[in-house]
Amino acid sequence: MRPFPTLLAVAAVAASGVIVARTAPRPSTGTDVARAPTTPALGEVPRGFFAPPSDLRLPDSPQDPLPEVREFFFTRAAYTSGGRGGWGGFGRRGQSWRTDYPKADRQFMVVLKRLTNLDGYDYENAILLDDPNLRRFPFLYALEVGYMALTEPEIEGLRSYLEAGGFLVIDDFWGLQQWRNFQYNMARVLPGREIVDLPMDHPLFSAFYDIEEVRQTPAIGRGVGGRPTWEGGEDTRVPMVRGIFDDEGRLMVVINWNTDLGDAWEHAENPFYPLEYSTYAYQVGVNMVVYGMSH
Amino acid sequence: MERIFEALFKFRPLLFREGDLTFATPWPMALLVLGAAVIAVLAVATYGTARGRSSPGDRTVLATLRLAALGILTFCLMQPTLILSSTVAQRNFVGILVDDSRSMTLPGEDGRPRSVTATETFGADSELVEALSERFALRYFRFSGDAGRVPGPEAMGFDGTRTDLVSALDRAREELSSVPLSGLVVLSDGADNGGRALAEAMVPLQAASVPVFTVGLGEETLDPDIQVGEVELPRTALQGSALVVDILVSHRGYRGRRVPVVVEDGGRILVEDSVTLESDGEPAVARVRFSLDEAGPRRIRVRVPAQDGEAVVQNNVREVSVEVKARRQKILYFEGEPRYELKFLRRAIADDPNVQVVVLQRTADNKYLRLDVDGPDELVDGFPDTREELFAYQGLILGSVEASFFTSDQLRMIADFVSVRGGGLLALGGRNALAEGGYGGTAVDEVLPVVLEEPAPDPRRAYTEMKVGPTPAGASHPAAQLRTEDATPDSLWAALPPLSTLNRIVRVKPGATSLLAGDAGDEQRVVLAHQRYGRGKALAFAVQDSWMWQMHADVPLDDPSHEILWQQILRWLVEGVPDQVELRAERDAVEPGERVRITAEVLDSTYLAINDASVVASVTAPDGSVEQLVMEWTVDEDGLYAAEVQPTFAGSWTVDVSAASEGAIVGSGVLHVDAGPSDAEYFDAGRRTAVLERLAEDTGGRFYTPETVSSLPEDLQFTGGGVTLTEERDLWDMPILFLLLLGLVGAEWGYRRMRGLV
Repeated sequence: MRPFPTLLAVAAVAASGVIVARTAPRPSTGTDVARAPTTPALGEVPRGFFAPPSDLRLPDSPQDPLPEVREFFFTRAAYTSGGRGGWGGFGRRGQSWRTDYPKADRQFMVVLKRLTNLDGYDYENAILLDDPNLRRFPFLYALEVGYMALTEPEIEGLRSYLEAGGFLVIDDFWGLQQWRNFQYNMARVLPGREIVDLPMDHPLFSAFYDIEEVRQTPAIGRGVGGRPTWEGGEDTRVPMVRGIFDDEGRLMVVINWNTDLGDAWEHAENPFYPLEYSTYAYQVGVNMVVYGMSH
Repeated sequence: MERIFEALFKFRPLLFREGDLTFATPWPMALLVLGAAVIAVLAVATYGTARGRSSPGDRTVLATLRLAALGILTFCLMQPTLILSSTVAQRNFVGILVDDSRSMTLPGEDGRPRSVTATETFGADSELVEALSERFALRYFRFSGDAGRVPGPEAMGFDGTRTDLVSALDRAREELSSVPLSGLVVLSDGADNGGRALAEAMVPLQAASVPVFTVGLGEETLDPDIQVGEVELPRTALQGSALVVDILVSHRGYRGRRVPVVVEDGGRILVEDSVTLESDGEPAVARVRFSLDEAGPRRIRVRVPAQDGEAVVQNNVREVSVEVKARRQKILYFEGEPRYELKFLRRAIADDPNVQVVVLQRTADNKYLRLDVDGPDELVDGFPDTREELFAYQGLILGSVEASFFTSDQLRMIADFVSVRGGGLLALGGRNALAEGGYGGTAVDEVLPVVLEEPAPDPRRAYTEMKVGPTPAGASHPAAQLRTEDATPDSLWAALPPLSTLNRIVRVKPGATSLLAGDAGDEQRVVLAHQRYGRGKALAFAVQDSWMWQMHADVPLDDPSHEILWQQILRWLVEGVPDQVELRAERDAVEPGERVRITAEVLDSTYLAINDASVVASVTAPDGSVEQLVMEWTVDEDGLYAAEVQPTFAGSWTVDVSAASEGAIVGSGVLHVDAGPSDAEYFDAGRRTAVLERLAEDTGGRFYTPETVSSLPEDLQFTGGGVTLTEERDLWDMPILFLLLLGLVGAEWGYRRMRGLV
């Protein structure tokens, strides 16, 4: 493991005050660009696939003037959650995908670009699962999936995305009940696909950093002052990294269960958030991006 | 015409060309001229002073006619003589070379086989041979793939499967070099398929002043007939590679007919197509696609079923040898940053057993991700900095990595990887690639098939989307295919989403070929282009997101276009890349008993020639018996070793060659030689008059047809070499002189009658 570069990068984020949630407001175009035609005519800028649609975009969300030229977008899955079907149905109805959004996304991109030579888009990029433009972003991040309640179009969209070669990273869901909800939804997306533990010698853990153990990354307010790093009952104590593979043995979905990488990214600059956890979370995040872009 | 000339001038034009004119009069020439002048003056004076009814005009005409008659008489009195160099009877030899190949069994102009014409014309009892024998000692040679002495054409079987005219001329010249040789006579249809240039045989003949007299047999064109043209297939192919082959079908007499074209491998039909025949002599092209799935030596057979009434049916079938290799070719893909192009390229070729892409990806400054390496030490220090390390790969892909990353020696090494090692280089587009990567003016720029324009000040602003489709050359090129078995229809290309580029490429270099083009609205861009450079080849694929053809929502999940395109590009990139030991056979198919020269080029790990290697060939016969041959360095070319193999009976002969130097194995190679009867003789079997005429003219001989060959003995007598003596032939009694004299005197008389001067 090489903690120092990550530590430095995280510290730099904190020092530079890249606390993006309160950046200066920027007028929105108000166009529902995410649903624009998939192959717009040349010169029709902006294109739809690189920015969140109006209902997902934050009013103060800045934009890169030439977003389409970027190689990598930290793309967040915007999905239906709460109450409708499956095992979900409690708390944060309908908005669980927004957790840590967009601060975690932006801070993660700052660190990712500082640690690697990736040509990445600096801002958030949320997209609906049933949007055809989803397939333009082969890396997808989804969290709080314990409340996920996917609609049929979302299931179709995610399935075609994964079968075409998309790479999905799951984060921030805890305990057996949430696991069952997620498992139920994934079984609808990828029927018959088994979820298996990823051994520590899997290339995911050495794609950039050599990660030797799976650590539990706590949510803000936990893991300090004698508080535990887990949140909930006994079934939330042990963090797991699991995966779903395709017929060719290629990893399609990485599942980070009983851990909260997103909070560590979001609160890296917070002096009360333990640096060791945010350092670890960034390392895991970088590995997942580098692995997802090469396998 | 020649006969009229001979009737008027007593001899054939040839004798006038060969001989020198002189005057044999015993009187001094000056006296004769003086006498003639005096007579002329007297004659003119007589006419000038004559008076009577004649006008001055009449006297001028009559004086001219008289003077002309006097001139002819004077010429005759001077005893004009032709001095000729004539071969001495029975002191000289003539070699008669008779084509013994199968094409001689085809019908000639009179409908009878050419061999019958040859036997009759040059048989022991023929008038021609009798005339020749009076003056020359005759030596007969038969020739096809090889040449040898025979007692006469009657002893020949006309079953040779090849015609090697050059070797035959060499053989006859060498065999008759110790005797006075007047000339060589070649009886053939001229259909030489020995593979050597005719000049090779002509130069020594010219130096030895041996004229060659050629007798052309057969018709120049066969009608009606269909012929399958040369089939261009790579010598080696990777197992499973899709091949696109243009098959040329030429014909006479079947205009407008649609005929099938069948491609077979060992009796199994690989593909079947059809083609409509155009005007006579104009080849029609059938473009077929197929893949070779079985490893080992394959004999690919292309045929057009025989049509009714064809003059020759054997030339409807072509056979070509291809060595299908099951080996894994290793490609180094160096990528300068994390890119989806790498991910999807790897996925596209993951199932390809013949291509291994070893990835070296720079994920941060001085940090690399290595994928699919063969061992823990491979590429452990990053991009290779020795030729030995880089040249171990067959292919090299450069992704988005700036030229300044490399040392100048590494850039030169990449260029040498193509030109010296013979590897395949593929340059991808990207923000740090091509001109935008600073490659302009570097050693790598020389290799690239495209012209690098001025780099854009901000590559991001050069972003352009393009609809991509094949160029006419790309439509038939194996590296630009989206399907392996069938032709890639235009609709497939049209259905694919646009790709984007940051590298503006609009020109290819002279000699390079553009395979895919992009419609960028205001201009056409070069998307995929290739060129040969030195021993290797270079490709440029100037887009940054070909993975869109896999991921885009408009592309159905089961569409294999992206996978096939990449497999085809990478297979083509490394196909035919030479190894350290590279074998070649002079021919891949021979007649049983015919010798074939095998050469091995032996190079060290930096691809420099080795001249002191120990090179051994194990020749395995079809019955399993093995013979060892030592291959010797040829001396005239560095690193080239040669040996002759003689497959004594039909079947596939395997030649395994192993090379060692300084106690270490350098490498090995294998090739196959097919021994068996060949139908090569039936291709282009019409008489090649131009070849035979050139051979005769350039050596001082003459070209004949069976109708004109009767003058051969006399031509040989006066134009041939060997032991000669000078011969004089009187010309004063040429009928033309008598006729002229008669004409002039008659004209004078007639003029007088007409003018009433008699």
